[in-house]
Amino acid sequence: MKDDVGGNPKRARFQALCQALRPDLLRFAFWLSRDRALAEDVVQETMLRAWKAQDSLLDEAAAKPWFLTIIRREYARCFERKRLVTVDVDELIAREEPMLGAAQDQDIAELRAALFKLPEEYREPLVLQVLMGYSTAEIAAELKLSNAAVLTRLFRGRKQLRLMCGEDAALDPEE
Amino acid sequence: MMDCSEYRRSVLADPHDANPELALHRNSCGDCREYTGRLLRFEGRLERARRVSAPAAGDARRAPRSVRGVRIPSGVLRARRGWLAAAASVLVVLAVAGSLWLAATPPSLASAVVAHVADEPQAWSGGDAPVASPELAQVLRGAHMRLGADAGMVSYAQSCLFRGRHVPHLVVQTSRGPVTVMVLVHESVSKAVPFDEDGYRGIILPSPGHGSLAVLLRGQDVGASAIKQIAERVQGAIEWTG
Repeated sequence: MKDDVGGNPKRARFQALCQALRPDLLRFAFWLSRDRALAEDVVQETMLRAWKAQDSLLDEAAAKPWFLTIIRREYARCFERKRLVTVDVDELIAREEPMLGAAQDQDIAELRAALFKLPEEYREPLVLQVLMGYSTAEIAAELKLSNAAVLTRLFRGRKQLRLMCGEDAALDPEE
Repeated sequence: MMDCSEYRRSVLADPHDANPELALHRNSCGDCREYTGRLLRFEGRLERARRVSAPAAGDARRAPRSVRGVRIPSGVLRARRGWLAAAASVLVVLAVAGSLWLAATPPSLASAVVAHVADEPQAWSGGDAPVASPELAQVLRGAHMRLGADAGMVSYAQSCLFRGRHVPHLVVQTSRGPVTVMVLVHESVSKAVPFDEDGYRGIILPSPGHGSLAVLLRGQDVGASAIKQIAERVQGAIEWTG
């Protein structure tokens, strides 16, 4: 069967897959990197790599985790090439205002700023859970951690986030 | 028996954990029920907060790559250019890569459904008891419909404002887990519209004469054909009364 993308069904399928997943992938890369330009670069590079390696994707239903793994590797490569020395989170927040959008209420703006400030070891599993809908086991597989370690990071991440947002954490359990 | 500290540690790690032991403790402990309610409200805000806009392909409003005090690596761009220059299949890759960034806008109705569901995360966690019949009937009345038992146990039912109209928003417990159903009597689609966005998978089915029906699940565990089967079963259980 022919399609309208250069008459190549394989390319058309791949393109459709990328189009469907791109918004989520970009959001994931953004929350991971906290930098819109870098997120766009990482996603674009990911798609190029995915195109080259598409034969290794045997099941399209598994496409999203497959892409996410490539994104994480690609993001890590950035740091192998040139490690970030200092990050002023307040400046990052100000700079990323267009991507963060004009939050309709102050609560959401504060929560986004708090997410930016969360250490990466807590932010990443939280983003995988909340943004990508990953289960604990899926996060553990992606991050190469035990289930218990993932749960601990999620617990600490959410607890820190609630504290930063001024939530009443008096009833939160101790570790 | 789980204690309050253990319960709260578990729900802080995963507020949507469907572990029956958690439900058991929640049902028997008023303080933890209240704690969970507050946590789920926070979770609702968190789900809204993470929905930053994904800029359209080719959007030129890129942020500068460096600002005072912040060092952003530029190696990614250089690597891409280098790779492209060296790649023998550059034309093919560029054609594909270029087209990837076009038309990335997801279907607007599906996006609206996902956004609405993401804003009501507490709906997923009420799986222990069915909604009382009079309450369910009242929610369905506005859409001129009844729902047969074949659909599964309805654990959540609200009449929600969606794109200017109040519509039934239900969560039905199925063998595949909780499934959200939105009866969109004022939104028509010409054919089935599957979608996979923001961690939600689902389908919007046309309901001739009655708009459309959106059915969605969280996560990636259920395939598109299974989702369609679930949606068709729910649709088959609807009896239109007007």
